[in-house]
Amino acid sequence: MNEAKLPTMKEAAAPPLAQAPDQEQPVNPTLPAPRLRAQGKWSRFLQKYNLLPTLLFFVIWELFSRLNASIELFNPRFLPAPSVLVQEAWRLAESGVLLESIAASTVRILIGFVIGCVAAVGIGVLMSKFRLVELWFSPILNLVGPIPALALLPLFIIWFGIGEFPKILLIAWTTFIPVLVYTVDGFKSVPSTLIRSALSLGASERQVFMRVMLPSAIPNFLVGAQVSLGLSFSALIVSEMMGADSGLGYIIVDARNYFKITNMFVAIILIGLEYSLFAYALRLVERRVMAWRKGGLRDAVEK
Amino acid sequence: MTFGFAPDIVRLWKKHVSKTDKTGVRLMKLEVNQVGKRFGNRTVLGEINLSVRAHEFVCILGHSGCGKSTLLNMVAGYLLPDRGAITVDGQLVKGPSKARGMVFQDHALFPWLTILDNIAFGPSVQKKPKAAAREIAMQYLKLVGLEQAAASYPAELSGGMKQRVGIARALASQPDILLMDEPFGALDVLTRETMRVELQKICSQLKPTVLFVTHSISEAVYLADRVVVMKHGEIAGIFEVDIKQPRTSHSAGFGEMMSRIECVLMDDAQLELVAKVGT
Repeated sequence: MNEAKLPTMKEAAAPPLAQAPDQEQPVNPTLPAPRLRAQGKWSRFLQKYNLLPTLLFFVIWELFSRLNASIELFNPRFLPAPSVLVQEAWRLAESGVLLESIAASTVRILIGFVIGCVAAVGIGVLMSKFRLVELWFSPILNLVGPIPALALLPLFIIWFGIGEFPKILLIAWTTFIPVLVYTVDGFKSVPSTLIRSALSLGASERQVFMRVMLPSAIPNFLVGAQVSLGLSFSALIVSEMMGADSGLGYIIVDARNYFKITNMFVAIILIGLEYSLFAYALRLVERRVMAWRKGGLRDAVEK
Repeated sequence: MTFGFAPDIVRLWKKHVSKTDKTGVRLMKLEVNQVGKRFGNRTVLGEINLSVRAHEFVCILGHSGCGKSTLLNMVAGYLLPDRGAITVDGQLVKGPSKARGMVFQDHALFPWLTILDNIAFGPSVQKKPKAAAREIAMQYLKLVGLEQAAASYPAELSGGMKQRVGIARALASQPDILLMDEPFGALDVLTRETMRVELQKICSQLKPTVLFVTHSISEAVYLADRVVVMKHGEIAGIFEVDIKQPRTSHSAGFGEMMSRIECVLMDDAQLELVAKVGT
């Protein structure tokens, strides 16, 4: 979803010159002018945010579900139509369950993700500054890193009970490993001429670290954060499915127990939306921090 | 692209480069004393002796792999000599310092800083307040004629422009010696020519002490007061170039100097070929 959104946001900065004049011109003089203008506005809006594919997806889903309801290819309950889902979501929202669940999930992922990132950057800094730390840390990381965090969850629950702590710990842990790996790699791949030139300009070792090593590791850190965002979302949902009484993952388990498939769909879609929002926020941060960066296919060849 | 006249900097530099000791002798003299360097069991530098006076522009010329960059990196303090010593005014070079500014072939600008902040980096790490550092940076930016690019990022600049910024950045921390490691090596021939002219103009204004590594004979003869030719880790010849600045390739003695240096640079097989073919 988000993948499709980003490139068009870039385009949005420069208005689509090629199409706009076409639509403004009264091509068909028999059409009343105001309606035409309204139409142009609409299609420009759709184009700007590239909403057409998403819209079409839901329309086809709706049609298929209705068709299925009448000819019964399979049990219509298994795939409710989006219109039904919206009604159900509205009902859930009115009862307050939805808002509560979204808030619970958001708080968990935010705290877990931030703790994971901060810890990863902190340890990454220590690992790149002190060889001894790296020497002792990296074998252990190689040992523990590849274990899927979800395998640890039952253990965490036994150790720490079913409160918030094991959930946040699990999310933080899934965030921690990829961010650490990418950040350490970022510190290691700082071009040596940059460090040399900083030293020759009179920078102290501390200044070299703060002003050269850190900024040049930021792109790597952001890649790590993006990679781990997906992983930490799955950690969030799984931890809410086991031993929780709130959150979007809990809605899914609860819906399964009572066979409320519509609720399940509502929760699934909300998870997707929340992930897209988080990923989008991360990209906004990236674009802001990395304004200096050029490159990619868009800059390589003009089309 | 021309560069602006920058009286403030010139005044600043005149004051800077004319620092003298109590007896009135101009400070700053670089001495390279019997310096040798090995990487593993490969000898890169045999035994180098070289001294550079204040305000002198010295070019180190040689084929790639002759050890000229290694020598420069040792003067900068990035590498340490295995034998011998490098001293500036009697002080042993133990590591990089702002007294020896470096211009790199790949310009090594910080990609996340604007052009102005790149140049302000030196003054600002030396505890100058931000505004003052930027002001100094702006003056040096004017010196290299790029004030309109102050807010751009390095990725938006052409190779020649980046290298101008590299030079301005090195000058902005007022080094005692300016070290340049094939600064124009990655530029196209036409840009090289203009950069050469501009560097010469800057040097005639500021009179810094420069150690310049290159593999272009014409570049060396154009710029240098003295050309040090290196071959297989040894100094093969030193040439004083006393052609009046500004020089062109048509200046009297320019071609002759180039061919004299070329003879030293050529290996035996090439010399035989020259002898056979004749003149």
